[in-house]
Amino acid sequence: MPAVNPEAEGTRYPDVPFVVDTERVRAFRAVFGQAGGVPPTFLTAAEFSVLPQVIDDPALGLDFSRVLHGGQSYELERPLREGESLTVRARIDSVRVRAGSAFVVIAMDLFDDDDVPVAHARSTMIERASA
Amino acid sequence: MRRPLEQVAVGQELPDLRRVVTREDVQAYADAGGDHNPLHRSDEFARSVGFDGAIAHGMFTMGHMAACVVAWAGEADAVSAISAQFRATVSMGQEIVAGGRVRAIDTEARTAVLELWVSSERDGELEWPIKRGEATVRLGS
Repeated sequence: MPAVNPEAEGTRYPDVPFVVDTERVRAFRAVFGQAGGVPPTFLTAAEFSVLPQVIDDPALGLDFSRVLHGGQSYELERPLREGESLTVRARIDSVRVRAGSAFVVIAMDLFDDDDVPVAHARSTMIERASA
Repeated sequence: MRRPLEQVAVGQELPDLRRVVTREDVQAYADAGGDHNPLHRSDEFARSVGFDGAIAHGMFTMGHMAACVVAWAGEADAVSAISAQFRATVSMGQEIVAGGRVRAIDTEARTAVLELWVSSERDGELEWPIKRGEATVRLGS
């Protein structure tokens, strides 16, 4: 049986600030040989600013040592700007159990200082069935 | 400079982008992206959870796929959506190849929808670290 609790679906987590740090963007670009701009998958850094809350949520009970990343999608209302401060809001979009594995979709929205949406992310985490 | 709409046709292929995945690159990615899961660093840990050794982050492979899109689109800011499903793990030293083709064009909105993939050969078998990747790209004039 999966460790994750299907009733955690719909859980919302407290806002977390996220800065599009120029040095970090530069390091990210360097990994992928990019010349300029903020790479679209840099949004993963924003997700990892809220993920500790999700992983440590006892009500969700995700066994992260058994988790694989199953899929990822990003939508950008506009490109991220280097140096800007944003707010990250995360929720558990869905929890499904199939063949002993749990599929947890974590949805994250990014907002600017005026609460205007900037980007959206959906991450599917697969908690593999225990051996 | 964004790729002009006039230089895009349905069915057009993106040039393949290849790279060999190294431990150093995966570590640099972990630091920049913020995912410090030991699965991507420690062979010992990876074996304890059923893998042959440390594997690259799915997001490392997706970042490579995004680089293929950006190279074609002309700039990072042109990408308004990107998604992937991870179907095979990537080990250290493995070569990955990102590719894609134009699935649809919206001439009014000046956007193109791309279908994308990342393939890799392991022990003579073709695997798909990413299948059903997709991106929406804004085109220039």
